[in-house]
Amino acid sequence: MSRSSFYHPDTIALHSGYMPESDHGSRAVPIYQTTSYVFDSVAEASSLFNVEQGGHIYSRISNPTVAVLEQRIAALEGGSGAICTASGMSALFTTFITLCSAGDHIVSSGQIYGSTATLLRHTLKRFGIETSFVSINDAAALDQAIQENTKMVFCESIGNPGLEVADLPQISDIAKKHGVPVVIDATFAPPGLCKTIESGANVVVHSVTKWMGGHGAAVGGVIVDGGNFDWQASGRFPELTEPYEPFHGIKFWEEFGPNALAMKIRAESMRDLGACMSPNNAFLLLQGIETLNMRMKQHIANAQSMVEWLQVQDSVTWVNHPDLESNPSNTVAKSLFPNGAGSMLCFGVVGGRAGGAAFINALQLASNLANVGDSRTLVLHPGSTTHSRLSPEAMLAAGISEDLIRVSVGIENIKDIQSDFSKALRAAQKVADKLAEASS
Amino acid sequence: MKLMVNGVETHLATGGKEFDASLPTVLFLHGSGLDHRGWALQTRWFAYNGFGVLAPDFPGHSLSQGEPCSTIEQSGQWLVDLLGAAGVEHAHVVGHSQGFLSALELSRLKPGAIKSLTGIGTAAAIPVNPMLIDTAKKSAVKAAEMMLQWGFGEQMHMGVSPTPGMQPIAVGRQIMGANPLASDLQSCADYSAGDDALSHISAPTNMILAGQDKMTPLKAGLVVAEKLNAELTVLKEFGHMLPIEAPKQVLVALREFIVSVEST
Repeated sequence: MSRSSFYHPDTIALHSGYMPESDHGSRAVPIYQTTSYVFDSVAEASSLFNVEQGGHIYSRISNPTVAVLEQRIAALEGGSGAICTASGMSALFTTFITLCSAGDHIVSSGQIYGSTATLLRHTLKRFGIETSFVSINDAAALDQAIQENTKMVFCESIGNPGLEVADLPQISDIAKKHGVPVVIDATFAPPGLCKTIESGANVVVHSVTKWMGGHGAAVGGVIVDGGNFDWQASGRFPELTEPYEPFHGIKFWEEFGPNALAMKIRAESMRDLGACMSPNNAFLLLQGIETLNMRMKQHIANAQSMVEWLQVQDSVTWVNHPDLESNPSNTVAKSLFPNGAGSMLCFGVVGGRAGGAAFINALQLASNLANVGDSRTLVLHPGSTTHSRLSPEAMLAAGISEDLIRVSVGIENIKDIQSDFSKALRAAQKVADKLAEASS
Repeated sequence: MKLMVNGVETHLATGGKEFDASLPTVLFLHGSGLDHRGWALQTRWFAYNGFGVLAPDFPGHSLSQGEPCSTIEQSGQWLVDLLGAAGVEHAHVVGHSQGFLSALELSRLKPGAIKSLTGIGTAAAIPVNPMLIDTAKKSAVKAAEMMLQWGFGEQMHMGVSPTPGMQPIAVGRQIMGANPLASDLQSCADYSAGDDALSHISAPTNMILAGQDKMTPLKAGLVVAEKLNAELTVLKEFGHMLPIEAPKQVLVALREFIVSVEST
């Protein structure tokens, strides 16, 4: 059961958002591969354009197949509504640009995905939106960073790649005191692992490409409106509470209440930014979501086995996962992720940067690529890829060291993953031994 | 818009256009624990098609100040005062569930105020299980949850939304959980003058009922329709929360009826 549905998550994942359609009884969600929709009359067209009734106008704004995915994810997260976008990054940009204008300010965790950090640090700055980066679980630092013009506190449920779990109840309490919403990128924490909205988030963003899809065949993003933020009481969001000229002075909060943000995104941001999800991608992502809960159980079981196994390997210098007591946010992880804090882990290998490179090059089963959350095991060296645009100081703040190997543990048989890693660790050890010989 | 009714600030949705009392007025009355947002996909059409729209939040609900009316009779008097404050002589009155009971009381107190009457997902009496009222007294959120489970039809439970991407159960939970549900339910349970009120109505009437209604069963609504000799629309595949579950079908039934009354 979620805040949006009385069915259980496994059932929501299979059914929510769709009942077999009346014309043909299609059991699978049909792909509505169309740009536009015929209006019954001029009056009906006018009515749709003026938000007098719900319905589809043009697939940049909404599409029936995409709407099923939106409704399913909203139900899984317990949100009042969801809007799908072309990618996780477009979901983030859409959220930022809907809530912020020139002169506004964001408080963000310093430990976030490299491209998101670049978006906040450089791209949004060009539009006059400034960001302060803080250690998100440092209550005093967060409290002090919120300014008069702050429009959101932003962080990731589980920071990428440092794997710090955000203390959502604490962050929410501080943000609420200032009348500021909490926006969470929950990509590393797909629905079912953590009750993100009930824990204090007001807006939840996912890269649906990752665990939700699970197949690595389609890129997509989603913004879930928690429906639990009072935009009027906040006093910081005239965009949602004052008349919006392009829609005859509509006041989103007054007219739509808990759906205000989702409706604003639909009416303005999807229209203006155009970062819509294709119906074909929505269909592919729906196929993944149908088995999300089953897959997550295997992801987590394998991740826990890998953590235990890596800890006793001689060529491994350190291991990080939120479920380990050595992780600074372990207490928070236990509280927010009772069944395990995801399937991302990081570790260091002997031989530093060269050892890390040798390890990755020697892998045969695991794939070296810039993605996470695939059903297959994926590895990456963030320092030379996703976070390569960051300065050394920013990398350190993001919890990244040169030898860090990021692993998205897949659902293959655990013995095969360990066998692959075992061979690769021997390659790293050889490099380390040579480096030691050379320096002695 | 904001209006002072008996010295208390009242919020009224006007369908996205400034209210004009010189136009035919349509008055939308929400049900227990709800507010004006339940009418979001009906009010705008009327406002943009030649009507003045008033969709108030009853006292103590959502954006309106004040204490909630403790009886349906009180809410009827409050509607008389509201129309007076808005400068409206008579209106097409549309009531969902409890809102229809309030409309019945308005018709008893000021028959001339009713130009036409539409009941949606409702009956002449709405008995409420005492356990639900007790639950609401302890926790509006828990009671709202029970009502949402019973109140929505199967499509809503399957997450199929008439508005792309939205999930009305979560919206209902947020609105109803923060409103004075116990008071609303108690006033419904206590109200027994509905049948008498029906017998005095002479204005044109219209009933829009739901086949899967577990809160005000279809058969109770059909009795009202028969007594009033009302226009009747039965939406078989939907539950009690018709204005939210089937906004387009409700709008079609409403506008056909109200436009026809206006044209006679």
